[in-house]
Amino acid sequence: MSAHPSRRDLLRLVGAAAAVPVLSSCAGAPATQSAAPGTFTVYWNAGHDYQAYRKVIAEFEQANQVKVNLQKYQWPDLRTRLLADFASGTVPDLVEEPGGWVQEFAVSGNARSLQDFVDRDGQAMGFPADWQPVTVERNSYQDKVYGVQLHLTCNTLVYNKGMLREAGLEAPTTWEEFLDAARKLTRDGVYGVALNQDYTYMWPWMVQAGVTPYDLETKAIMEPRADAVAALQFQADLVHKHKVAPVPVAGTDYSGPQKLFSAKRAAMILTGPWDLDPIRKTSPDIDLGVAPPLKNKTAATQAAGVSMFVPAKATRPELSWDFIKRITALQVEQAATKETGMLMPRKSWVDLPEVQSDAVTKVFADALPTARDSSQEVRLTGQLGKWEEQLKVMYQQVLIQNEPAAEALDTFVKAAEGFLK
Amino acid sequence: MRPRTLYGRYARTAYLFLLPAILFFAAFFYLPIGNVVATSFRTGPMADQWTGLGNYTQAVTDPAVQHSFLVTAGFSVMVVLGSIVLGLALALAIDQPLKGRVVFRVVLLVPYLTSVAIVGLLWRNILDPELGVLNRALMAVGLPTQQWLNTAPLLTIAAVTLWQSVGYTMVLFLAGLQGIPETYHEAARIDGADAWHRFWRISLPLLAPTTLFVSVMAVISGLQAFGQAYIITGGGPGDATDLSVFHIFNVAFRTRDFGYSSAQSVLLLIVIVAFTLIQLRAGRRSEVTY
Repeated sequence: MSAHPSRRDLLRLVGAAAAVPVLSSCAGAPATQSAAPGTFTVYWNAGHDYQAYRKVIAEFEQANQVKVNLQKYQWPDLRTRLLADFASGTVPDLVEEPGGWVQEFAVSGNARSLQDFVDRDGQAMGFPADWQPVTVERNSYQDKVYGVQLHLTCNTLVYNKGMLREAGLEAPTTWEEFLDAARKLTRDGVYGVALNQDYTYMWPWMVQAGVTPYDLETKAIMEPRADAVAALQFQADLVHKHKVAPVPVAGTDYSGPQKLFSAKRAAMILTGPWDLDPIRKTSPDIDLGVAPPLKNKTAATQAAGVSMFVPAKATRPELSWDFIKRITALQVEQAATKETGMLMPRKSWVDLPEVQSDAVTKVFADALPTARDSSQEVRLTGQLGKWEEQLKVMYQQVLIQNEPAAEALDTFVKAAEGFLK
Repeated sequence: MRPRTLYGRYARTAYLFLLPAILFFAAFFYLPIGNVVATSFRTGPMADQWTGLGNYTQAVTDPAVQHSFLVTAGFSVMVVLGSIVLGLALALAIDQPLKGRVVFRVVLLVPYLTSVAIVGLLWRNILDPELGVLNRALMAVGLPTQQWLNTAPLLTIAAVTLWQSVGYTMVLFLAGLQGIPETYHEAARIDGADAWHRFWRISLPLLAPTTLFVSVMAVISGLQAFGQAYIITGGGPGDATDLSVFHIFNVAFRTRDFGYSSAQSVLLLIVIVAFTLIQLRAGRRSEVTY
């Protein structure tokens, strides 16, 4: 390029350069390949490509004479791709989702009801009778099932047994004990606890404080408000007042606390089974302890975990349902737990020897009945996206930027009242 | 010989050669633009309800949109000024008879050739306050550690953007400097002008077209920045790095309001074009010839 372009050259360049990325940012993604007769397209999370599921896929291919095109994504990218697909009308046969999308897309008409299949095959496969009730509720809309839970996880206390032993501490059970332990453990460049920048990690504290995120009937948001403020402020104080936790770094992933824990720079983190494997792999010398959820007003935690649903425009729902049936069988859950330590939604899974004999898995499994869904009522309004965006901003303003919890929560509630009308 | 005009056999052949490019542009440029403009007049999760100018009137009064534009403006100012000052400084440094000049040039250009995703992840790890290399280096020399991404997030992602793009602006300025006839400098030396005066009175004015080009491109890339917020900060902490394109992306793919996000895209394009025209007009007045 000449270093002395004419104004006309500049204008041409500018016109092209300015228009393409800005406008193409909303122009939609390239269309998914059409569902070829011999191909069965599945959108899956990149972290859930287990051998146990590969085996199921091989059997499914054999039985149905199709080739499974397993497309793996991180959640944000999967959502971007999926929404572009909905807009273009060309959709995959089956989608794994991170929790919350089933009802959202049922409301918008993008997910297919599975009730006819459930009526026909439910009894034989144990659905919904053998699934934890919370997992059926969160995947239903207007009394019809739209999705089936694949994993059911929850968030609890993970700690470094060696560090607690050295400090003469038992695993804390209440907020007060937790703060006391964190204070005693914070020394020599080690933090007592590491908190997450991701707003979803605030929910265990909220449910332990007895806070209801949103009540569909009364339209109340984050009530009792005083308890919600106290729960938020408690987390911020761990960082800014007591200095027993580092300031979390804003970002797009939730692995910060796990990395600090693995690096022996944090003695306790609040997380789910998804972080156990990375900890064991990167720091096999850490004597890992898992404790039940903390207690404030109540001992409770947040339900998490993934489900599967069939897009409304999927052309072979029978095949999709067959895939769901195969991959949620009890022996598949058993194999996946054995392989990865993942928690599962079937009630009968809790009684498996792999669960009962593993001290870590058992703690998580025992916590599942206390797990609450934090966004179900918001999802039913169709405004989950806006809710989550505002929550992210509010949570980071409090936790990272040390804004007073009462003010930040007040601003959030006012905004939420606007779009939840 | 008669001049060949755009008629007849020659023209048909010429258009035939142009056809693939025209079709490509129509399919991947004009069609999506038309689609976005059409979508901007619609609303609803699937953008299937007509709303006329509703999205536009909502966008100009929306505090979140205004905030994201202010954030983007701040980011762009830092990137533009940094690009010009740093790019020119590096070009002046490299424009000396140094050993290994080519190596410097290549080293400075490599980040520009690296994808923003890789650069983002790299710097995210470097800047991590607890486990990052930068704070460890500060600790090693007895300096206090910094919360780079928490205390000055916008400045930090602007600095990362500069680190990535400054090699390119340096190359442009270098080309501009090497395009200035040496006779001008010789004449000035005979007249007793020192290095500073020669730069201020000769190099800088003659670099005006390059400076204009660099500033126009920096404004465009600054206003369109996305990857930095998406990968490094996620728009946070809070909404401190909620750049316009990132905001538009979230409106589209998180809240599923494609009509509203399309309207914001069109408005952003108008802003970019307006800024560019203003810069070009201002730049025209600053051009000099000797």
